[in-house]
Amino acid sequence: MFYLTRMLGKPVVDAAGDEIGTISDIAIATGEVFPRVTALAFKGPDKTPFMLSWRKFVETFDGERIVLNAPRAELRFSYLQPDEVLLHRDLLNKQIVDTQGMKVVRVNDLKLSESRSQLRLLGAEVGVRGLLRGISPLLERTIERVAGLFGKKIAEDIIAWNYMDLLERDLSAVKLSVTHKRLHELHPADMADILEKLTPAQRAKVFEHLDDDQVAETISEMEDDLQADVVEDFSDQRASDILEIMDPDDAADIIGDLPYDKAEALLRLMGVKEARQVRKLLGYKEKTAGGIMTPEVTTVTADTTVQAVIEHLRGAAAENENIYYIYVVGSKRVLEGVISLRDLIVSAPETKIADIVERDLFTVAVDDDQEMVADMMSKYDLLALPVIDEAGRLVGMVTVDDALDVLDEEAAEDLALVTGSSHSAVSALQGWLGRGPQWIIAWAVYGVAVAGLLRLFWERPATFAVAAAFLPLAIRLSEEIASHALGRLIERGSEETFGVFARRFGVDLAAGASLGIISGLVALAVLQATKQPLAVSSALSLSVGLTVVVLAFVGAILPGLLTIGDTGRWRASSPFVTALMGAAGALLFMTFTMLLQNMIGM
Amino acid sequence: MEKTRKNKLLVRLSLFLAVVGPGIITAMVDNDAGGVTTYSIAGASFGYSLLWALVPITIALIVVQEMASRLGVFTGKGLADLIREKWGIRVTFYLMIALLVVNFANTLAEFAGWAASLELFGISRYVSVPIGAFIVWIMVARGNYKVVEKLFLIASTVYITYLVSGWMAGPDWGQAVKEVILPPIVGQSTQYWITMVGVIGTTIAPWMQFYQQSSIVEKGIKPRQYKLAAIDTVIGCVLAVVVATFITLACAATLHPAGINIQFAEQAAQALKPLAGKYASTLFAIGLANASLFAASILPLSTAYTISEGMGWEGGVSKTRKQAPEFHFIYTGMIVLAAAIILIPNVPLIPVIFGSQVMNGVLMPVTAYFALQLVNDRRLIGDAVNSKGYNVLAWGCVAFGGLGSTIMVTSMLFPRLIGG
Repeated sequence: MFYLTRMLGKPVVDAAGDEIGTISDIAIATGEVFPRVTALAFKGPDKTPFMLSWRKFVETFDGERIVLNAPRAELRFSYLQPDEVLLHRDLLNKQIVDTQGMKVVRVNDLKLSESRSQLRLLGAEVGVRGLLRGISPLLERTIERVAGLFGKKIAEDIIAWNYMDLLERDLSAVKLSVTHKRLHELHPADMADILEKLTPAQRAKVFEHLDDDQVAETISEMEDDLQADVVEDFSDQRASDILEIMDPDDAADIIGDLPYDKAEALLRLMGVKEARQVRKLLGYKEKTAGGIMTPEVTTVTADTTVQAVIEHLRGAAAENENIYYIYVVGSKRVLEGVISLRDLIVSAPETKIADIVERDLFTVAVDDDQEMVADMMSKYDLLALPVIDEAGRLVGMVTVDDALDVLDEEAAEDLALVTGSSHSAVSALQGWLGRGPQWIIAWAVYGVAVAGLLRLFWERPATFAVAAAFLPLAIRLSEEIASHALGRLIERGSEETFGVFARRFGVDLAAGASLGIISGLVALAVLQATKQPLAVSSALSLSVGLTVVVLAFVGAILPGLLTIGDTGRWRASSPFVTALMGAAGALLFMTFTMLLQNMIGM
Repeated sequence: MEKTRKNKLLVRLSLFLAVVGPGIITAMVDNDAGGVTTYSIAGASFGYSLLWALVPITIALIVVQEMASRLGVFTGKGLADLIREKWGIRVTFYLMIALLVVNFANTLAEFAGWAASLELFGISRYVSVPIGAFIVWIMVARGNYKVVEKLFLIASTVYITYLVSGWMAGPDWGQAVKEVILPPIVGQSTQYWITMVGVIGTTIAPWMQFYQQSSIVEKGIKPRQYKLAAIDTVIGCVLAVVVATFITLACAATLHPAGINIQFAEQAAQALKPLAGKYASTLFAIGLANASLFAASILPLSTAYTISEGMGWEGGVSKTRKQAPEFHFIYTGMIVLAAAIILIPNVPLIPVIFGSQVMNGVLMPVTAYFALQLVNDRRLIGDAVNSKGYNVLAWGCVAFGGLGSTIMVTSMLFPRLIGG
């Protein structure tokens, strides 16, 4: 077992026993799963670089030095072949894509092994072990021993050659083994995950080697906020080609996020039909049926036959993504009914469409909320849902894949509302603190403003500070409890009996009370630490605690009162609740503080 | 005709605004707690006589920052990334350890500045420091790069308070201009030269090169936009020095004639009150609070970025805790630890600030050396390498910084040797 970092710099000795240089790099043949070492690069006395065939000239390598089988005069130097990869130059310390683990990693070392007098590359070490060895082998051993004392092992993290894709060297001209998996062979969704982790420059390099279809698919799978950035980086011509390939609804989402000038330029370069579709879609509001629908719909009239419709599907409508439902329209595209692919197949070819059309069908209006659309599709098990305008004309359809995205999105939002965290990966604490930095700052500013008001009444810096510090927390806490209460409502729906409701309500109140006591104690500790008079600290911490308790109480009952069975209403009223809580919190804190101040007679 | 010209101007402006950010933000953070302190001391102790030094410092700052941004634009990689690829793990590791220590000392200084400036408003540090740490942490941990950059650009505008307080202090403009054109360097004390070195060290700090290059990479600025990025850098550097000049002016016009010596920026704000008025003093303190908080959020961020990059860990504002655990550990750890240390009762703040400036000075020539080697690597950036003349200038700047740091460190370690 050899490691590249330990080989570099070791002496190269010729058959006569003279040292002719030091190892500077090693080349491998790229075609195999465990590639053979094919060439040795070394530095001569004046740092002149040389390259030798490993098979022809290397006699032995024992980890300490390389012995050649010929004297210096008989060595024939060679050049790097196009299909060879240099381990030091191309791999060591470089970022590569691990196409199995689907990660971007940095190569800390390369592990080689000798088998039947052939030196072969086992893989790239990308873990902490290689990092430690690279810093110092002594450090590696020491840490290994220390870890051993605790019964732990620092495992190697090795990626085999056939799961590596190099970001900087283009391997597309090189013949690789059949099992070698390159980045562009991954599923577009996986490729999108990896591309999101690269810098814009690296991303651009990867996109260079993909064809427009792959790029279009991959971009569709990327996070929304990255899509526009990526498209903006392409030349206008390529960007418009890619957008043309995409589903019109995806393309419209991206174009809608671009700056106006760029969007116009791209639309002008796109095909007339595609551009028209996108422009139409851009007119609809986000988060509505119009915003998520595709305008690509297969339509027929009622007077045709099954045979003619099937011909139509094979011909003109073949490129439409979804052909499971075919819509029957009258004059001016007014929607009359639907036939399914199943109806077509089981009917005789000469049957008239008018005889099999289902006229009683679900439809949505263009400005219906997307969540409602998705809920409807999930409830009635629909694969697609037609979208009509106010005159009853068919303008597009929402397909099940778009509906799934919506459900995902909304579920995440609901979850965020319930738990206060936006992603499972974001820790509970982070989530608890706020849904965005702007809110924290807004609360802090608010706290300071309230504190400023308080100073008019009570000339004590401590009041100011306590209000600035604890009010935002108190408001956030009560909002949290409100979200929690709402979570129960979503979970239970309207089936909740009064008994269950009362018990959970009690739990919320108990939580609120204990949080109040804790906040009060924290405030007391801080105030005491800053050497405030005992009367002042106790008054202030008491009002902090009381404010939290009362706000928690309000938070626990508000959602129930506001929604009364309809959880959708909460979403609309949520900012209002926050504002209400803020005002209530400030008033409460001021009232408590002033009352207590009068009581202790200060 | 008139209309197309106007349109062209608008297009150009919008192109520039797409690139602007990294240079200006980096340079503005340069006037952090340590910077404000050093410039105030320079003004209070030596009046207008050190102002001239800001001219060569501006040039050196522009050269060093421009090289870093050029590397970022043409390689699409951060400075730590390039150092790792060229010099390997070991060199990178020791450099990262050094950078961690230096940046941590700087972060401490920022929290000290934040605590001291808010104490001027009667807010205890036991309240201000936890709140400050929290704001700083949440901004990056919860925001994405675009939002964070906008917040930082807004914070940059608060530096205008220094211009106002400097103007309110009513400096003797004629005298100031005269001493810039004809530097009164004959017969100055050793202390004068040490202060000058301090000004160099605080203005050209090593983290700035790493930070600016990383933000350029994260922003994805392309070679064809390079000129605009260079303009961004120059504007930022010039603005930073303008702010530094006004801080020096404010103290030179008031504290110097009154013979008041200060050790920390908040003392300058306090001393300004009777001399330049309540408002000048308040503005100075607001400026200090903003600068400290701003720098306290950028330093841990820059450190976490740089180290993750060098060691090959995932990192970035937009990565979650699970995706980039090391990044978040370094970032959060630095903030929490720095805030905790500042809250220790009776912790000596002035040596902390002083120490951080010294460490900056020592590390600066080292990182500048690496940057210079890289920016001359034709395999890396092709024809964007330094020209011969520019190389002479750049090496001159590194030598200028290196010499300055050597003098400063020597004088601190062996005060008797140089005297003062």
